[in-house]
Amino acid sequence: MGALNPDFRFGNFVGSIIQLVLFILAFVTLLILPIIFFMLFFVPLPVVDGQVLTPYLFFSMMVDPSRTLPIVQFLIHTDLFRAAVFPGFAFGALVAASTIFIERKLLAKMQLRIGPLYAGKIEGIFQLLADGLKLVSKEIIVPSGADKMIFWLAPIMFVSTSAAVVALIPVASGWVAADVDVGLIAVFAILGFFPLIILLFSWASNSKYPFIGGLRALHQMVAFEIPFLLSALPVVIFSGSLNLSNIALSQNLFWNIFVMPINAFVFFISSLAELERVPFDLPEAESEIVAGWLTETSGMIFGLIQLGNYLKLYALAGLFVILFLGGWYGPQIFPQELIPGASASEDPLLRMVALEGLYNPVTINSIFWFTVKTFGIILLMLITRGINPRIRIDILLHTGWYKLIVLTFINLFIVLTLIYGGILGPEGLISAR
Amino acid sequence: MADALFVGLSILTVGSAIISLESRELLYGGIALAVSLLGIAGFFIILDAPFVAMFQIAVYVGAVAVLVIFTVMLVRSPNTVTKRETVKRKVAGIALGLAFLALIGSLIGNSVISQLGFSDTVPVVEIKEIGRELLTYYSPVLIVLAFTLAGSIIGALALARREDIEEKNEPA
Repeated sequence: MGALNPDFRFGNFVGSIIQLVLFILAFVTLLILPIIFFMLFFVPLPVVDGQVLTPYLFFSMMVDPSRTLPIVQFLIHTDLFRAAVFPGFAFGALVAASTIFIERKLLAKMQLRIGPLYAGKIEGIFQLLADGLKLVSKEIIVPSGADKMIFWLAPIMFVSTSAAVVALIPVASGWVAADVDVGLIAVFAILGFFPLIILLFSWASNSKYPFIGGLRALHQMVAFEIPFLLSALPVVIFSGSLNLSNIALSQNLFWNIFVMPINAFVFFISSLAELERVPFDLPEAESEIVAGWLTETSGMIFGLIQLGNYLKLYALAGLFVILFLGGWYGPQIFPQELIPGASASEDPLLRMVALEGLYNPVTINSIFWFTVKTFGIILLMLITRGINPRIRIDILLHTGWYKLIVLTFINLFIVLTLIYGGILGPEGLISAR
Repeated sequence: MADALFVGLSILTVGSAIISLESRELLYGGIALAVSLLGIAGFFIILDAPFVAMFQIAVYVGAVAVLVIFTVMLVRSPNTVTKRETVKRKVAGIALGLAFLALIGSLIGNSVISQLGFSDTVPVVEIKEIGRELLTYYSPVLIVLAFTLAGSIIGALALARREDIEEKNEPA
């Protein structure tokens, strides 16, 4: 506050506003209109509701409430929406963000603390927003002698690799960003990138603690990759498919966890190790090696790696649900119509409020049950963090190489016996098809 | 579309292969090798063989490239290659590579593979068919391969866990 600038003239103020308006007008005529015309001439436009969707039609549809639904319906069935928003990145990031908040509150309650409290009126609900703003506005410090290119590229690689895993996870029948025939193998192939990225980042930091952390991460991830893959093998034998959607569809009678509980256990432990969570958080052991391979990160580089970590957490919890907990199957709890009698009525506004054509009770139900189960698994991972100490590295390697690999074979043989005994499987007594 | 993808992938694969050979910094060479192997996985995807592509990524990028980079990081000596190859050796190497390429190309060109009829709708080889063949007609080969692999793994374990060396290393 204080006095006005002595050079202040009202005329200058008006002049600056006029200048701004002129600038916007020039921008629209010189850039935006040509882009629209370019689209009209060269880009084949999609057909929505029997009409070719031009930009002008798009704007007029957006302001007319009764015509908005077809365009929304069209948009949510595009590939871009699937990859970027719903089963893809934005949904994963939303789950990741809520996981971070739940984790902080839950761990605090478990340790008789309060947790985030001040940001936001109720229980510090805006803490995450405040943290995000802080991370964005902080300076990114690149350590001296660091390999700049790898140091900048590795966090971006980390997030995009996590997002690639998220893109493979189906949330309902047909709702998946990338429906790959070899989905399960693709997940493990992409997870194989993480040790490489972590090792390169820890080396590029040019510091001792990150390098020790990176080496630990490499040992840990390589040790647990084999039981991880082997524990998913009986599921593939059982459902006869590597496609994740088909694996989930094959469990409409009973969940896989009832047939192969040991494998589900091994998968859970291995995913904890893959995620570097307590009790396997040796790569980031903050009481021994500062923050492990994250020591030299600051600002948004730290933010990106955390985002990638929690995206990975969501993806692996979702994978557990798809492989062992029956995917998206659950009792139908959503009504057939959002507002009873809406589709028969003549009122366009009522039909719009009832989301006619958009609302599909089966899909909504699937998404609901998938989300509930995924959050259950995430909660299990968080509780494990709350009640366990960190284990020693030789015990960790011993667990991975000697115990878990052997454990995976028990259920493999049980499943093979059940299939060849003619009890389960495609041609068994209790057939899923 | 596929042609543009093919050209892009070729540039990526061959370019990073050249970088991996020519880079003065060993670590960048290792990373370029990983990118090159990734490009080969892309070729497999174009060729409609996603199964092979995924195993290419899992084995070569996830294991071999990590091993190479890990080894490079642990090398104590200065991390750069100072010795320059003479022109003679370079030309000889390129000539040898081209000769090998011509040999393999002529072999493939004269084999049955070039006479397979490709169609857009029906895949030439199905994975399930390969699996069935492996377990029926080629099962002796599979068993021999399995025994070889098991033998090499057991041999590696025996070499890694030699008790006389372990006792020598551990202080009394």
